[in-house]
Amino acid sequence: MAVKPSAAIDAARLRRRLFALFLDWLTWGYVAYAVMYFLQEYWWSRTLYGFYNPLTLPGWGWPAAVLGTLAMAALCELTGYSLGERALKLERREERPLSREELLTGKAAGKPFWRTQWGVMSILLLALTVALGWHVVKISPEALLNPSERAREMLGEIFPPDFRYFFTPDPAFELRGFPYSILNLMVVTVFMALLATVLGAAVALPLSFFGARNIMGVSPAGWFVYGIVRGFFNVFRSIETMLWAVVFAIWIRWGSPLAGIMALTVHTIAALGKLYSEQVEGIDPGPVEAVVAAGGSRLEVIRYAVLPQVVPSFWAFTLYRWDINVRMSTVIALVGGGGIGDMLFYYKNEGEWALLGAVMATIVAVVWAMDYLSGRLRERIV
Amino acid sequence: MAEPYLVVEHLTKVYERGHVVALKDVSFEVRKGEFLVIIGLSGSGKSTLLRCINRLIEPTKGRIFIDGVEITKLSPRQMRKFRRRIGMIFQHFNLIKRATVMTNVLTGRLGYNPTWKTLLGIFPRSDRELALRNLERVGLLEKAYVRADELSGGQQQRVGIARALMQEPELLLADEPVSALDPATSHSVMQYIEQMNQEDGVTVLASLHFLSLARRYGTRIIALKDGELVFDGAPEEIDDRKFKEIYGEEAEEVEIR
Repeated sequence: MAVKPSAAIDAARLRRRLFALFLDWLTWGYVAYAVMYFLQEYWWSRTLYGFYNPLTLPGWGWPAAVLGTLAMAALCELTGYSLGERALKLERREERPLSREELLTGKAAGKPFWRTQWGVMSILLLALTVALGWHVVKISPEALLNPSERAREMLGEIFPPDFRYFFTPDPAFELRGFPYSILNLMVVTVFMALLATVLGAAVALPLSFFGARNIMGVSPAGWFVYGIVRGFFNVFRSIETMLWAVVFAIWIRWGSPLAGIMALTVHTIAALGKLYSEQVEGIDPGPVEAVVAAGGSRLEVIRYAVLPQVVPSFWAFTLYRWDINVRMSTVIALVGGGGIGDMLFYYKNEGEWALLGAVMATIVAVVWAMDYLSGRLRERIV
Repeated sequence: MAEPYLVVEHLTKVYERGHVVALKDVSFEVRKGEFLVIIGLSGSGKSTLLRCINRLIEPTKGRIFIDGVEITKLSPRQMRKFRRRIGMIFQHFNLIKRATVMTNVLTGRLGYNPTWKTLLGIFPRSDRELALRNLERVGLLEKAYVRADELSGGQQQRVGIARALMQEPELLLADEPVSALDPATSHSVMQYIEQMNQEDGVTVLASLHFLSLARRYGTRIIALKDGELVFDGAPEEIDDRKFKEIYGEEAEEVEIR
């Protein structure tokens, strides 16, 4: 086995230390930002001016902040108090013989993480983050504990819910000229989720093999296709279902269930495709080798060596996605995707709290039932 | 003398990652019907050598001839067709665990059937009959429709042998076929391989861990050390000095009977 020359090792170590320095710099930048934020909230605005006034830095402020944090990071790096080094596992722990006493009492294992310098620093950073977040989001317990007048009124009317329009269509609520009942729309909604899951899985299944490194990584052309398919999965998955619904609602028609199905399907393809292809990448390569050695083609490898290994997890992921799609389909109407949400938001806007209560109760019951069903199915399969 | 069946010429394999040289200029010849055993420490290149012969691993340099055909020159399509003639069994059996024994055995026939048929799971009646005969031969007929992962290790390796038999091979590559098995089962598996060699005239290349097994079953032994061929000769020629040369000074021979 060839040994790497020590110059290469030194260069690699230097790169890692520079990266650790960069991480420390980011950390100190974050601390500096938090300090400035609190300064503005309390001291600057209230003490100096007596009213809210944004903090403005003098011209030399930005370079000073950048250099100051860099200096702090460098200081940490030199004195060994560097979180970045710890994160990259670049500790400089000296090797020394351990005494029998240390081995016996467990002192040899070292202090628990939260009692080390890094542990203390991490806890302080976490506390800072919570404090900062609290002020940025303006969390106020009083507002949470004292609901508005309207909320009291609404809660009073929502119980008991009014199931008058469960079977009979509500004449006041019309979609494209037709009145609907809760049951009508709930059926539409469940089928939206079902169709989107089935269609999405059917497309994701073949695609996922093109997005698996161990299947495609045999030729440059294969790598190319792999890159494209993986890119498609990542980009389309990062656009949330609700955003896809906006796109399709404009494309097809506002409030059409087809728009909802399309939005759910597109996101399902990308999400399931990624999960599927990761399963394909995680298979035992042994059977693949055996099928190839027997003269099997690429398709035969997939059929005989890959599919049998991934089918159970494919089912589990598909059922999991079905859960997500059922929940998503109940609110997708908010952005024009159709389904029971149309009714939900109609009653909300009209202030028909008792009728709204009935819709919500139905949604909860159906979502719970579907969750239970898919959970039982998943138990059976895995 | 007859033309050698398998010729390996100056075979070298370098793994790009980590710049590991797995095989260094290995050359040897095998006659038809030989039972050649490859010995050597873990990591000495035995598996790489076997996998170069059916090109599961692409050699970096060198040529390999089987029955006069330079297989290192074949296109992927031609190679796939040629692999029908080369059976292989593996250390960890490499069965499809969730499929039945029958399906596993039939995969040995994939190279003989058109892909569109096998994708639908259709195999000719003659293949199914052959599968049953081969299962009978390894004593697993009644297990034909049991899931492969329900079998014991020895039984799984026998399924592996039945699968290799399905190819009606001329050459069998056995990559440490018994190192995952206990001594008693090891012999039963080795005897099936010996039977293939003696009754069907299959040329066998097997890598083995135990020298005692190598001596008992091999007609000839080659030894690899750090990717280099360090011994090529009859089993009796390996004396204590040779043994230490192959396995290192500290090694002691362990018998498995």
